[in-house]
Amino acid sequence: MKNYWWKILGALLILYTIVGGMTVPIKSGIVKVTPNSIQSGSEVEIQIDGYNSNYDQSDDLAVWLKAGNTTAIKATKVSAINATSLKANFTLPNELPSEGSFHTLSVVVNSKIDGISLLPDHVALQAGAMDTLNRTQWSEINNLVRKEGFNFPYRNILVESIRNTFYHIPLWFAMVMIFFVAVVYSILQLYKPQVKYDAYAVAFTEIGVLLGILGTVTGAIWAKNTWGQYWSWDIKQNVSIIAMLVYLAYFVLRGSFDDHEKGGRISAVYNIFAFAALIPLLFVIPRMASSLHPGNGGNPGMGGEDLDNTMKYFLYPAFFGWFLVGMWMASLRARFIILRDKYLLKMND
Amino acid sequence: MRRKYALGGILLYVISSVYIVYAGFFDIPKQSWNAIFWILILFASINAVAKSFIQENRGSQLYLYQLAHPSAVLIAKMIYNTGLLFLIGLLTFAILSTFTGSQVRDLGFFILLLGLAAVSFSIAFTFTSAIAAKSDSGSSLLAILSFPIVIPILMSLVKLSANALGLLMDSSYLTDIFNLLAIDALLLALTFFLFPYLWRD
Repeated sequence: MKNYWWKILGALLILYTIVGGMTVPIKSGIVKVTPNSIQSGSEVEIQIDGYNSNYDQSDDLAVWLKAGNTTAIKATKVSAINATSLKANFTLPNELPSEGSFHTLSVVVNSKIDGISLLPDHVALQAGAMDTLNRTQWSEINNLVRKEGFNFPYRNILVESIRNTFYHIPLWFAMVMIFFVAVVYSILQLYKPQVKYDAYAVAFTEIGVLLGILGTVTGAIWAKNTWGQYWSWDIKQNVSIIAMLVYLAYFVLRGSFDDHEKGGRISAVYNIFAFAALIPLLFVIPRMASSLHPGNGGNPGMGGEDLDNTMKYFLYPAFFGWFLVGMWMASLRARFIILRDKYLLKMND
Repeated sequence: MRRKYALGGILLYVISSVYIVYAGFFDIPKQSWNAIFWILILFASINAVAKSFIQENRGSQLYLYQLAHPSAVLIAKMIYNTGLLFLIGLLTFAILSTFTGSQVRDLGFFILLLGLAAVSFSIAFTFTSAIAAKSDSGSSLLAILSFPIVIPILMSLVKLSANALGLLMDSSYLTDIFNLLAIDALLLALTFFLFPYLWRD
């Protein structure tokens, strides 16, 4: 128990993130709003299609059109058609909410059952004919009801695929950590050459590459569902492929030596080199180019609005879970390599 | 000069590949010119640098290491390779330009790029060829080890040379040059840190 508690912990953390990450429901959100172009000073009826919503069961539905942080107009009448669609009537003020001729309004739906859902900057507002009888004014959003309970946030294009956050990101994180451990063994190998260090360095690099491949595959599936295709030649996709090539070259290099001791030393040198090349590849270059990934090229990063507290309950355990399971796999592989080499040596004698 | 035939071989490679490109294209669009130029440079460079450790016999290497400090040998090889690669760059540029007409708008900047390319390739290839020379399958391993490493360098260079060709009006070329120099500095530091573990047998 003393020596393998971390293996059990890793497996439990992964089990927890898979079960929790897959079963926790997504908050209700707004999928579609029609029409998406309206004129000031007019009366409009807007249809809103929701996701995971219970419009027909809510008796306190409130809908706003929001311009900027404080300015908004509340719907005069809201009627639910079914669970996922409703109609809201607005009497829009004569004045535009602020200076300028082009305004985009966000749509906010609020109810006790579903909580707050928001579709940002979706409805275009243009100056229309003045209506002298119209006395409505822009006001503020008030009396919002928050939803109780445990839910993942709704994000427009992501929707259910937001759960991939618990697999795609921790896999890459675990890969970097596992490669780091491999480098530590490589440095040890250079200072005090031992068969054990060499085997551990190889095993950790192998598992690191495996995690990298899994990270790429989960990313590609995610990209298919959000960006439209498996491979978009995004800068992060490019550099991760280069990083994988650098590490695959490590195995080719190892394989090209007959002399075990010399091969161990040279590939330890290359492994340190590869890791030092990996860090700028993954963490520096993508930040300098434009990218579809969040956190690069002016896109908002993970954190803040994207990563609310419910996600953190699964994301952080997933980091440790994949890292610990990676350690477990790598140490098994290393023990296998050591035993195999010992056996082969005995066979040769 | 024992290197004479090597230089001759590279010259032959450049001329024949430029001629093939010319025979295939006749009139090369700028975008393709950019790509083809850097592909030619890449392969000419890797052929040239492969001679620095891999095609050297063990006896002369041992002799060198006894005469001088290994870092001194490394620096000497890097400087020599930089000069050689810059020469190859100029040569390729001159030959490609005589065949296809010069496509370069900003000649000074382009020559500067050739210099940067020579320094970057020299650092990357010298170290990887030092590693590859230790194994039994030298030059094929050199390509496998060095291509992933030079891809980021080439990406910056192709972007910068698109600037020099007038394909791209990018005011951020200084950041790109800085990136390139940062990659070079990193590779150089690693090379000096790791080379002492490589050379002795």
